[in-house]
Amino acid sequence: MSLRNSYKPGEWINRAKEINFTFEGEAFTAFEGDTISSALWAAGQKVLGRSFKYHRPRGVLSLANHDVNILMTDGTDTNMRADVVEVKDGMTLQAVNTIGGVKKDKNNYIDSISPLLPVGFYYKAFHTPRKLFPFWEHMIRKAAGLGIVNFDYPRILKRKLHTHCDLLIIGAGPSGLTAACKAASAGLQVTLIDENRHLGGSLSYDHGGHKVSAEYGEDLLKKIESLPNITVRVGAYAAGYYPDHFIPIVETGGITKVRAKAVIVASGAFEQPPVFRYNDLPGVMLGSAAQRLIYRYGVKPCHNGIVFTANDYGYRVALDLLAAGANVLAVVDLRAGGNGGLHNLELCKRGVKIYAGHCVYEAVATSDKSKVRGAVICAYDDKNNVALTDNKFTVDCDGIVMSAGWAPAAALLYQAGTAMQFDYDVQQFVPSRLLDGIFAAGKVNGIFELDQRMRDGERAANDALNYLGKLAVNTNAEKHSGGAPSHAYAMVPHPKGKNFVDFDEDIQIKDFENAAKEGFDNIELMKRFTTVGMGPSQGKHSNMNAIRILAKIRGLPVEKIGTTTSRPFFHPTPMGHLGGRGFHPHRLTSLHDWHEAHGAVFTDIGAWKRAAYYPQFGQTKADAIQAEAMAVRKSAGLIDVSSLGKIEVHGPAAAEFLERFFTGKYANQKIGTWRYTLLLDEAGVVVDDGVASRVADDLFYLSIGTANAAMVYREMQRCQQEWRLDIGLVNVTGAFGAINIAGPAAREILSSLTELDLSTEAFPLGHFRETTVANVPTKVIRASFVSDMAYELHSPMRQVPQLWNALMDAGKQKGLRAFGSDTQRLLRLEMGHTIPGIDTDGLTNPYEIGAEWVIKMDKPYFVGQRSLSILSKRPLRKQLVAFTLAANFKGEVPLECNLVIDSGEIAGRVTSISYSKFIDRIIGFAYVAPAKKAVGSSFDIRTDNGLLVAATVVATPFFQLQEA
Amino acid sequence: MKLLTCPINGTRPLSEFIFGGEYRQAPDQNTCSDAEWAAYVHNRQGAPGDKKEWWYHSPSGTWFIAERNTQTDKVARTYLLADAKKVVKESK
Amino acid sequence: MPFRLLKYALKKEHPAPRFFKAHEMPKKSYDVVIIGGGGHGLAAAYYLAKDHGISNVAVLEKGYIGGGNTGRNTAIVRSNYLTPEGVNFYDASVKIYEGLSEELDLNLFYSTRGHFTLAHTESAMRTMRWRAEVNKHVGVESRVVGPDEIAKACPQLDLSCSGQAPILGALFHAPGSIARHDGVAWGYARGADSYGAEIYQNTEVLSIDVKNGKVCGVQTNKGYIETKQVLSAVAGFTPRITEMVGLETPIVIHPLQACVTEPMKPWLDTILVSGSLHVYVSQSSRGELVMGSSLDPYEVHSTRSTLDFVEGLTSHMLDMFPFLSNVKVVRQWAGMADMTPDFAPIMGKTPIEGFYLDAGWGTWGFKATPISGKTMAQTIANDSAPDLIHTFRLSRFEDYELTGEKGAASVGH
Repeated sequence: MSLRNSYKPGEWINRAKEINFTFEGEAFTAFEGDTISSALWAAGQKVLGRSFKYHRPRGVLSLANHDVNILMTDGTDTNMRADVVEVKDGMTLQAVNTIGGVKKDKNNYIDSISPLLPVGFYYKAFHTPRKLFPFWEHMIRKAAGLGIVNFDYPRILKRKLHTHCDLLIIGAGPSGLTAACKAASAGLQVTLIDENRHLGGSLSYDHGGHKVSAEYGEDLLKKIESLPNITVRVGAYAAGYYPDHFIPIVETGGITKVRAKAVIVASGAFEQPPVFRYNDLPGVMLGSAAQRLIYRYGVKPCHNGIVFTANDYGYRVALDLLAAGANVLAVVDLRAGGNGGLHNLELCKRGVKIYAGHCVYEAVATSDKSKVRGAVICAYDDKNNVALTDNKFTVDCDGIVMSAGWAPAAALLYQAGTAMQFDYDVQQFVPSRLLDGIFAAGKVNGIFELDQRMRDGERAANDALNYLGKLAVNTNAEKHSGGAPSHAYAMVPHPKGKNFVDFDEDIQIKDFENAAKEGFDNIELMKRFTTVGMGPSQGKHSNMNAIRILAKIRGLPVEKIGTTTSRPFFHPTPMGHLGGRGFHPHRLTSLHDWHEAHGAVFTDIGAWKRAAYYPQFGQTKADAIQAEAMAVRKSAGLIDVSSLGKIEVHGPAAAEFLERFFTGKYANQKIGTWRYTLLLDEAGVVVDDGVASRVADDLFYLSIGTANAAMVYREMQRCQQEWRLDIGLVNVTGAFGAINIAGPAAREILSSLTELDLSTEAFPLGHFRETTVANVPTKVIRASFVSDMAYELHSPMRQVPQLWNALMDAGKQKGLRAFGSDTQRLLRLEMGHTIPGIDTDGLTNPYEIGAEWVIKMDKPYFVGQRSLSILSKRPLRKQLVAFTLAANFKGEVPLECNLVIDSGEIAGRVTSISYSKFIDRIIGFAYVAPAKKAVGSSFDIRTDNGLLVAATVVATPFFQLQEA
Repeated sequence: MKLLTCPINGTRPLSEFIFGGEYRQAPDQNTCSDAEWAAYVHNRQGAPGDKKEWWYHSPSGTWFIAERNTQTDKVARTYLLADAKKVVKESK
Repeated sequence: MPFRLLKYALKKEHPAPRFFKAHEMPKKSYDVVIIGGGGHGLAAAYYLAKDHGISNVAVLEKGYIGGGNTGRNTAIVRSNYLTPEGVNFYDASVKIYEGLSEELDLNLFYSTRGHFTLAHTESAMRTMRWRAEVNKHVGVESRVVGPDEIAKACPQLDLSCSGQAPILGALFHAPGSIARHDGVAWGYARGADSYGAEIYQNTEVLSIDVKNGKVCGVQTNKGYIETKQVLSAVAGFTPRITEMVGLETPIVIHPLQACVTEPMKPWLDTILVSGSLHVYVSQSSRGELVMGSSLDPYEVHSTRSTLDFVEGLTSHMLDMFPFLSNVKVVRQWAGMADMTPDFAPIMGKTPIEGFYLDAGWGTWGFKATPISGKTMAQTIANDSAPDLIHTFRLSRFEDYELTGEKGAASVGH
């Protein structure tokens, strides 16, 4: 039987547009604008889902984005919240978490064995015998969980926006709307958001059978529309509060991160269910849910309903039910002598029976247990919170609408550091101390009467204006008068239980009592043991009742129990929104296109993409590297080393700066020469190395390793802040690119492109020159990192391709070819050079790598010097040595990070190892016990497969092996 | 995201900054004992409270000092180290 | 259904007693006072009584038991460390964990899933090999595996990570497990209580009384307690406690954040960690994805959350699992990690007689809970630290003998 009513102004559905969809194989029609739940409810489909633990049938509870038992899948998406997701034409829907559909869920037997599953049952069983646990775990995992993830779901890249505003108002109910009008009228740039798709909040549904609130709403909306400095975002929720008024607003399209100067939280309150047996049956719903059905979707919650209330709000709901054409068979008011004031009279006039001091003792289910068919009513002792069942009676009905009170939607306030206190006049936690720039208004502030909420919104706007230095009157705070909007303890004990407190997790009153009996009698422990509030609704309808129950158990006032910590997110937020488009920053050299065009395989080093090697025609990586290395040894090779860090140190004290920063000496360095640099940290650990070229008395040009360049430059800057030397630092890493040309033919190739005399006499090792190469201004550094005959050419980054191409052309006939950074690793190994970060680790001191030669302890100071003076007194624990395997070694070749084993114990590890085709030996570096460091001594390396391979310590460069 | 004020570039989001640890004065390395030096290198004032810290504004390469409460995460003021020294000198 | 659940259905009164007694006020004196009612402190109390017969012990917890990092971590247990000392120590912990549900008669949901540390770069592969080789040497089942084996264990993983960081291989650690973290604290609390140790919640230590370099008592918000032995096991609050006794340590506090999705049916059976993408993830028995990332970059003594954390983490999660785009994150939270310069704990005696430190647990404290409890109990009972934790002594910093765990974390590129 359809529950759809006729058209009423203000409704959210478009009756002109009919929509067809299926739910578990059955065809349904709806109107555009219906949510899945409202459409199904209108059609009389009341079992919409099954609960998480007991698989009990569930229907509409809140219709406010916390009906988490009503999760659907459309075959693509899962865990869709039917209470708020709009139904679309052609949808084929299925409830999650059932076996065989909501009506005949094969897991519904779990409900009948629930006595076997007491609170925390999974801690109490399944672990003995240990062998069987994996079986039980498998069963439990299968039964738990909600929807099935669709592995074909596409990656969604949602946009992110950043905006600023003077005032962000969260919640567009009466207080938020009023605040927005006031603040915008005073000239503030206001952003107003609401998670619903239309503004108005409760003005759109809480009418109490009359039109007053709807009219207020229309007035406010007109005013909002007329103010150009209000930005409205609907269908948008504030996901969390982060420091300095930074609030992500989540909409379907993406996240907008708002930085506000001030924030008004007018987020309202969540209606709380009274707790009685079978309060979860489909047909039992919150009063505000009934109102939403009626006014937003034109759906009657039931035909013959009972209102179970513990506050005046229920009376308003009763009038709304009547207005919707439903019969109200009774208003059952938990409060002794409770009445709904003026509404009471009106209800009486219309013949509604009011039972004050009564309760719904239990809901009665239909024979198939799928929905409510009646309510057992009896007297209630409101002092001792017990049902007096002597004269209980049953009323047949198809709906029980409940109003027992509210919990403030205060998550953002908590996250903003607001102190909350329990206000007994409203029976609710309210803000007692707000931090700078945060204001609260309306229900979240403990203000419930409509007029008062609007005034409270104005007051909050005035407070915000004052805070922002605008002239505004100081308005007195509103104070609630009359009966409390929330009942102190709307719980009806029942010997048979099934009186649910947390619908997400199927937690009943007795679960709390039993948890307390087991010692989990503080709110945080109780939460963890019972899992109350840990479901997807995060306790929106359960945390407050849990606090009240615990207070009762412990005989303490509610404020002594406290609340659990509020954490983002306000509503569960999709990863695609949070992750956004993703961001993987990286740097490319000016030769990147060339590398790509020549088939380079790239590797990430620091932020840079570097060409690692250039495989030719199906070459393996190893073959490509050997071929490139052979080219360097036999003729010449060219490598793009533009990613090297490049720093200029200018000024009269440049040499002194270097002497303090690095371990070596630079004061006496001659112009036109370069020296090795070694950087330590304060603990004496090797950080990085590089080359310092002296360009002038007052100018050094440093080139340092790619990976550490940014960090090293930063450290230089910090040291300079402390030392205040007469220097300036310029990071020219991106300004200059660099190419290394290496190999016996390098000199000849280079000389064809430059006037510079490259002869050893005119330009020996250890020197550098400034010149032009191929008409490109170039700093030529005669370095020997990969070859004795090599030149490192530093030029403006943009002109590097010109230089590179000229060299390639000039070298074509000489066998010049490009080589990559992996080949460079082999070449430097052949030369016997170590690389920090590969041949050292986070604890390596310079003595362990034999770097004494560059440590000048006779200087007054350098970074790490004092620690070295301590370390130098201590015995070495390990020593890096160069080694080779036997000539013609056949067998499993050790790999980098295989261990050096001495008498069955770990003595060190291999840091670098490679076959060198040129030398025709396997060579490498390894840490060994200091006793084994002498050239000629041998040690064992253990391979992946556990074989011990003998290695012999040799001197560097490794070429001597070849000569031998 | 938090905001932090670089003394040169003004108030910027925290993602532009790099934390450089507590600002500490090294003992005189010529007169301190090995143990004192080791303590300087490794130990930290770990308890919460108001601290002087190094912060680096990455896009502009500015090191500065922030006086921050490590419990509340509130920054009282930020300034260049050189200015701090000036202030100290003036007050002497 | 196991028979042991039957009693809950058959008895009218809830048949389970309190996990631990609720004491009102502490006694005048105890043999040992343990500061911190997290997993570590409670485990120490348990083993003091069980292994050493010392049960005149008070555990003082300023909040509620297990409420600090014990209840905030992502509950991963593993022993695939880099140094033999580290591997031995954590392996001993894993061994106790494996039998702990039975020993404490509480189902800790100790679930051995296998643990993959993904390597996206050659240098990460080197480090994986280093760890694997050391693990094998000590007898722990870890090995370097290729993409094929990863795909077999987790076919849903995008091995190219959306083209951003292709996976070259992984360190596979067979014993890698997850557990119910709260249960560990509760189980040890129940065990310690059953031996006579007393647990006080909402009991804060205000100062520690040290005379002539010796501990003689602690002042609490519930009065003064005489004792000659105090164990500090307070993780992120360690610097506040060491300040009370004038002890300098290298510990600094950085928040470590985590988040959790709504439940879904089981699909992820392994524990995955990606250093390059700063992600670790497993699926709980409830069906939630429990996810964490790297440490916050600066010192804060609070458990506040940040948006950039969850933005970065989810973006990288989607690189690995693009199909999770519409799976929702329910909650994020943080703990306060007590970091040391060498990524290893500080355990054992201190220069103050009778003051013992169990600290510096950073991001790896949960997995060490049983063994730290056991070894700290041993240290207190004998006033001497066992060999197993010698490498973690406080004096290593003065000796410039930092543990090698720092090595792996700092190997470049």
